[in-house]
This record gives sequence, C-alpha cells and structure tokens, in this order.
Amino acid sequence: MKVNGFLKDVGGASRVTKAREEKYQNASTVSNAYDPIGKTARLLHPGRIPMRVTEIRDAGKNAKTIRLSADHIPYFKAGQFMTVEIKDGESIAARPYSISSAPYETRGEHPYVEITVKKKNNGYISGFLLENAKEGDVYQCEVGLGEFHHDQIRDSRYITALAGGSGITPFVSMAKEIRSGRLNADLTILYGSVNADDIILKDELEHLVSDHVRVIHVLSGDNPEWTGEKGFLSAELIAKYAHDDSTFMICGPRAMHSYVKEQLEKLNIEKRRIRYDVPGQPEDISLSEGYPAAGKDQVFRLIVRQGIHKTVIPAKASESIAAALERAGLRIHTACRSGSCGVCRIKVISGDYYVNPENDGRRGADKDFNYVHACSTYPLSDLCIKLNI
Amino acid sequence: MSDNKHFKDRYDAVVIGGALAGCASALTLAKKGLDVLVVEQHNLPGGVATSFVRGGVEIEGSLHEMMSIGPKDCPLKIRKFFDEMGVDIEWLRVPEAYRFVDGEKGTDALIHPGTHGNFETPAHEIAQACGDRDGSIFHKVLDLLNLCNRVYESVNVLSVTKMSKPMMLLKHPDFVKTAGCSAKEVIDTFNLPETAVDILSAYWIYVGNIPENLPFTIYAVLMADYLGYGSYIPKKFSHEMSLKMAERAMEMGVQMEFGMRADKILVENGHVKGVRLSNGEEVRSDYVICSAYPDQAYTSMIEPADAVPEGALKFVNAKTLGVTCFSVVMLLDQSAEDLGIHDYSTFYAPKGMHLKEIFDEYGTEGPYNYITSICTNLANPSASPEGTCIYSITALPKPEAWLNVNEENYEEMTRRNAEYFIDQESERLGVNLRDHILEIVYETPVSVAHFTGAYRGSIYGYMHSMDDHIVARLQMSEKENYIQGLAFAGAHQISGDGMGPAVTNGRKAAKIILDMMEEDGKEGF
Repeated sequence: MKVNGFLKDVGGASRVTKAREEKYQNASTVSNAYDPIGKTARLLHPGRIPMRVTEIRDAGKNAKTIRLSADHIPYFKAGQFMTVEIKDGESIAARPYSISSAPYETRGEHPYVEITVKKKNNGYISGFLLENAKEGDVYQCEVGLGEFHHDQIRDSRYITALAGGSGITPFVSMAKEIRSGRLNADLTILYGSVNADDIILKDELEHLVSDHVRVIHVLSGDNPEWTGEKGFLSAELIAKYAHDDSTFMICGPRAMHSYVKEQLEKLNIEKRRIRYDVPGQPEDISLSEGYPAAGKDQVFRLIVRQGIHKTVIPAKASESIAAALERAGLRIHTACRSGSCGVCRIKVISGDYYVNPENDGRRGADKDFNYVHACSTYPLSDLCIKLNI
Repeated sequence: MSDNKHFKDRYDAVVIGGALAGCASALTLAKKGLDVLVVEQHNLPGGVATSFVRGGVEIEGSLHEMMSIGPKDCPLKIRKFFDEMGVDIEWLRVPEAYRFVDGEKGTDALIHPGTHGNFETPAHEIAQACGDRDGSIFHKVLDLLNLCNRVYESVNVLSVTKMSKPMMLLKHPDFVKTAGCSAKEVIDTFNLPETAVDILSAYWIYVGNIPENLPFTIYAVLMADYLGYGSYIPKKFSHEMSLKMAERAMEMGVQMEFGMRADKILVENGHVKGVRLSNGEEVRSDYVICSAYPDQAYTSMIEPADAVPEGALKFVNAKTLGVTCFSVVMLLDQSAEDLGIHDYSTFYAPKGMHLKEIFDEYGTEGPYNYITSICTNLANPSASPEGTCIYSITALPKPEAWLNVNEENYEEMTRRNAEYFIDQESERLGVNLRDHILEIVYETPVSVAHFTGAYRGSIYGYMHSMDDHIVARLQMSEKENYIQGLAFAGAHQISGDGMGPAVTNGRKAAKIILDMMEEDGKEGF
C-alpha cells in the first residue's frame, strides 16, 4: 500500500523520544505542587469542622437561634443546610438544620452561621440542642449541604416561598442575601403558622421586608383578633400573592408538603417551577407505603463490619440503620437524613430491609448490589452491613 | 485502635484510589492470587466514572462513550478484559459516531461508525458532507481511516509484545513510519478538502490536544476504535461499570475501603514499605499502586520527602497537565423528540473550526467555543422517566484557566460559562433549553478536585503531545519507576485519558508491580 509521501524518516520514533528526553533534562528539580483549584475545593467542602457557639438568643416560642463561629466557614448558598454533631452519652448523631443566616455573613473578620431550632414533640436532637447548647460549646459541623437553593439559570427570579413552622429558616437566609444585594431575586414568603405566637424569627422577618422581599403570615388556628390571612397555604392564597412566573420553594413539615403539592397541582404549576426541601423521615415508618405489616416492635441483631473488624449491636425495626449505629456510638457520616444525598451509603451484606420509597435516592446499580442509604433504610431481620471505617 | 483493628498486618499490595484504573489494578493482582487493599477517599468507586441522583432521577456523571468495547461477537480489548475478569456489564451501543456542526462554515454532518473495522459508512458520510461527486473524497477518507486502523492494530499487538526494531519495521511499517508525525502532518498528506479535515478532527477534544500537536498514533487509535467499531455505554451509567469492577474485586478477596484516604506513602531504603491512612492507621505493604497524580505523590505523599529522587521531580515538572472539564448537566422536562434533539453526540464549533484559537481559549476563564453535547436517552431510552431527557454540554478547559478561582467568584465563573453553553445549544437546536430545566448540575475543575482529589482538577492526566509522545512514553517507561515498589495508575500514565485507557493504565500498573516483585525475588508470583 502506498503511504502518501508522509514518510519523512523511519527514525520518527527516535525523534520523538529525543524530544521527550530533552524536555526532561531541562526540567526543574523544584518540588512544586501549586494547586489553587484543589485549595478552593477544600475551602468550599472542608468536611466536618469544629464550630464554637458564640451567641444564643430567643427566636419565638420554644425556639432559639444559635450562632456558630469558626475561622473559616465555607461560602454556602442561601437555602442550604448544615449538620451539627451531638454527643450524648454513648451516642454520636449528626442532624441537619437549614441555615438562617446569610452566606455573606461567613465572610469578614468574624465569620458565623446561625441555625434556628424549634422544639418538636419528637425531636430528640433538636430538644437536646435547645436544652444543652451554651456559649463556648464546640460542635463538629458540616456547612453548605443540599440542593435547596435558588439557581439563576434554572429558576425564575421571582421566588414564592411556602413555609411552615421552622421551615421559614432557609428563606430568612435568602431574604438576607437579597437585601445585601448578593442574590438577584425577588422573594414573596407565605408563612403558615397555627397561632400568632407560633411564628418564629418574627422580628427578623419584619426587618427584612423591602422592595424585593415580602412576608405574608397565614394563621390556621382560631385567632379572632388576627386581621391578616387565615387558613392554610391554599391555591387561592398562592394565586393571590405569587408572581405569574414564580419558582415555588417549599419547606415545612411533611404534612404541609403534601397539602401544598395538591394546591400547586390545582394551579397547574409546571413541575420545573416547584422545589421541595428534603422532607426528613416520617415519625412512624410502619405507616409508609409497602412496609410489611408485622414486626415493627422487634429488635434485631446488626452485625457491623468495618474492614476486618466486626461489632454486633441491636437495631430496632422502628429506627433507621443510621439511628441504630449512632445509638451504639458508631459514627456514620450522614447529611440530609432523607435518603437523598447518599453520603451515608452502606452495603447490606445479608438480611432483609425496608427502604422508604418516598426517600429513595439510590442509584440503579447500587440497588442491584444492596447498597442503601442508611438514614432511610430500616431492618426487617438480623442484618450484616459493611460500614466505612 | 488496638482493640479495633480494621486492617491486616500486611498486604501484598495497596492500591490508592478506587477509580477505574485502581479497580483494574486490583482485579489484575487479585486474579494472580495476591492479597490486595484498595482505599478510596470518596464513598463510591469510579472517580469521575459515576452518576448522581437529582430529583429522584439518576444522571450520568461524565461518560460520553466507551471505546474498545465492540460487539459481543467481535469483542475489543476492554470488553475482553471484563470478560476475563468476570465483570458482566450491560452495554448499549451508541447509534451514531457524532454529529459535527460548524457555525461559521455551516457544515452539518452526521457520521455513523462502521462495524468490524470497516470504514465505508463513515467515509461515505464524510465525503457526502463535502459534496463529493466522483467518489475521490470518499476514497481518500477511506485510505486515511484504513491507515488509522493498521496503526491501531499494530498498537494493540505492540502493547503486549516486545519486538526488535527491524522486525517492527517489517511487520508494522505504518506504525513505524507515522510514529514521528503529528496527526495534522499525516492528515495533510491526503489532500482532503478543508471540510473533511474539520469533520475528521471533531474527536480531538477526547484526547485533549489539537491535531497539530497530537501524535498521529493517538489519533489513529481514536479514529479506528470509534469509527471502525462503534462505541458503547453501560445501561446503568458509568456507575454500573465502576461498581461491578469494585464488587468483582471484593468477591475475589480484595479489601476495599471507601471514605478512606491514603495520606502518605512510606519509603525505607528506597523501597516502599506501606501507607499511612487519613484515620492515622498505618498499613504495611512493599508495593503500592498510586492513583493520585505523580505531582501529588512526589511533592506531598512520599515520606520521608527526601526519598524522592531528583529524576522524579524532573519527570513531573517536564509534564504538561492535561485538560479538566466544565459540564452543564440537565434533566429536561420534555422528551428528546419533543425538544427536537435527534443525536446522542454532537460536536459544535459555534465560531468555526479554528482549533488553535479554540484551544487557546480553553486556557482562559471562558467562554469556550468548542462544545460537545450528549443526550443520554438517544442511546439509552429508559435513562430518565418518560417525558424527560438528560442533556449535557461539555468543554475541556486547561487547568491553568481556572487558577484564579476562589470561593467568592466560583459561582459567577460557573454561571457565566453555563449560560453561554445553554444559549449556544439553544440556538443550534432551535429550542430555548432554559424553559425546560428540571434539574441542573455544574461540573467544574473545582467539583472534580472535590470529588476525586485530582491534581488541579485535571481529568486527562498529562497531555498527549509531540514532546510527550506515546511511543516515547513506551520506550522510556522502564526508566521512570523512580521508587522501587511504587507504580502509578490513572489518566496520568502511558495510555492517557479516557475510561478505556484508564482500565489499560490500571492493568499496566499491576504488571509493573508484578515485575518489581519478580525483581525483588518474591516467590510464587
């Protein structure tokens, strides 16, 4: 076969080898690993960092705002959450809290973030923080997690926030960031509470009202003196206040999520314009779809393998595998606690389990090999799992 | 930790990094009966060969198309390796090679691959796009592609056999004759019309250098493999491939620990002795395969630091880092058909195929004017729920382009580039993609660095170029094992970037370790 005359020399291979050798001979011997890209990645995602409680103040009935400070705090996005790791006796447990301060407050000389915690009936950890946190305490925290934030390309600049209870917190962060001029968006908050005194962060919200931030309180309880909006966050109410091209952002209790979902369906809102914060786990897993009828009161043996090490701990059928590990003092990295982010991915080596279908964010191939997200997986028999060391 | 031991006293080999190369190394060593530990800093295997879930929908993280798979009845190198190792992946064939669109010249060509190394289909389609009347362009393109194929076949033979130079010249003349040439030098000898050259250059982005400075050998392998045999994707995204490799390795007895980083490689008397892990535990092993870049290993991982010979530092300082990536990945709220998206893979030069300018621009903060788009559903119809599709738009900037990134400007840099991509693609497709975004994810040099730990977020290792030529790499490779007991696996090794080459690089690292064991007089390997 005729080779089209490009044959310069059969010594081509030696030519390129010589070029390479020369480059090496002339290279520097200085050890240099200048990597600002890796550095930025570590600043944005430093993992768990120790943070000191520097202020605690009341934020309404049964609610407190806790300020946590550190020398460097990652520049998160308004609406995101952080985790706080609580040690109580044997147990080590991290819980997610939406950040109620603004991203810009992590800059400057005294960087801080704030979370606002409201006591819930069953919130063991939130109760623990409310009762125990005091100035000077140090907690391991991970800041800037989750997908619940405004995106300038995906979302409308008109945000209609539908908030319930402590679900107001991410919107306080957004409102602050808008007021500071760093978030180019227009925010209308419809904030549902039972009674006027259930409203948290009331004063802060009032201060944040501006050309681009509106707050409409909606009370569902029996409040004869209340002259504002009453009832639930209904389709009528949403239609009254929302901009025609709104992105709806929903944060509140699970029951509110499902109610609001129906209302938005009534209004024929496009799916791409609706964003829910992660919902957490239901109080009673046995009521979830497809949960086997028998056995919710049982306690199983959970064999935990970490490398060649093996531990056996009890695991209640009513609690997630993550909760069983935490109770036994075995640290597991968790974040969203809603089955979605996947940081608590573990492998089930043997045994039966239940995954809440509403909180199943697993990859397809993971399902085939029994990888599960421990925060939304419940034991149905004795289990053996492989946990990261 | 004494009552809480997680590791054995000693392993035959430790592999740092559980991405494709690390997994391929582990599989190869385990097949030889060795006791292997793999530590991976992330909580998933695969590195960038992974997927993520947004809004309940799984989305491919990075794979455009796998090379060297081939159909079942004509398996290529990587499919053969997986078969040999018992890694059973459900492969879907990608329907076309690519669509190439030049916004300046107006070229718009849809190219399909041939089968079993027959190039008539792509040659015909390229010729048609150039208005070939008498078949002369067709024949020239076919000649070029057949030349690529002969070089490709030689590379496949020579990568597993040693041969004398006269014998090489006799049996692999095209390989030898083109070894000193750039892709452009060889393509130019075919006197093709400019449009044909443009279309034949579309894949340059997959090897991270423009034809002018790209070894023809690399170009030939790329063209022959993709255009002669077609490409494939795993049904459950690249995570299926990564996970199945990792699972198979564990089944073969490999201990694999996720969420565990190796901070130090311990060296005594010029020989590897073990690693120190991020939880402080030390693991003894005389052999380590490192997936971190040699830049990272030689400057901050080897302990003591003075165990790094000068040659090793020269080696890393002489290298040019390969490209990183910038991708916008979207879940859209209509089917591909309804949005008017008809092709799985498109290469688009909105301002023309001025490759030098394009590549220079890749060295800046953007915007970038050579973009590659993938609509996953067109090769994998069930990839996302009915009435939706997954669409990604990618450019591969050089790492130095993002050296000024910091926490405060990161979002703005990302948004600016993403908007440009989306607008370019919206214009080309005739549909405003912004009105259809259900989910959007940005993959940047920073997010790559975050998830994989790759040096400067580079995903392509060291750049294939005329002064770091694959043939030269092969000839000099034996002199480049600077520390006895240490080998490297990853895009930074001989075969360079890409998921197929990653597997090859991992196998090669295992081979280097096995050879070192023999030199050290270890019995039984």
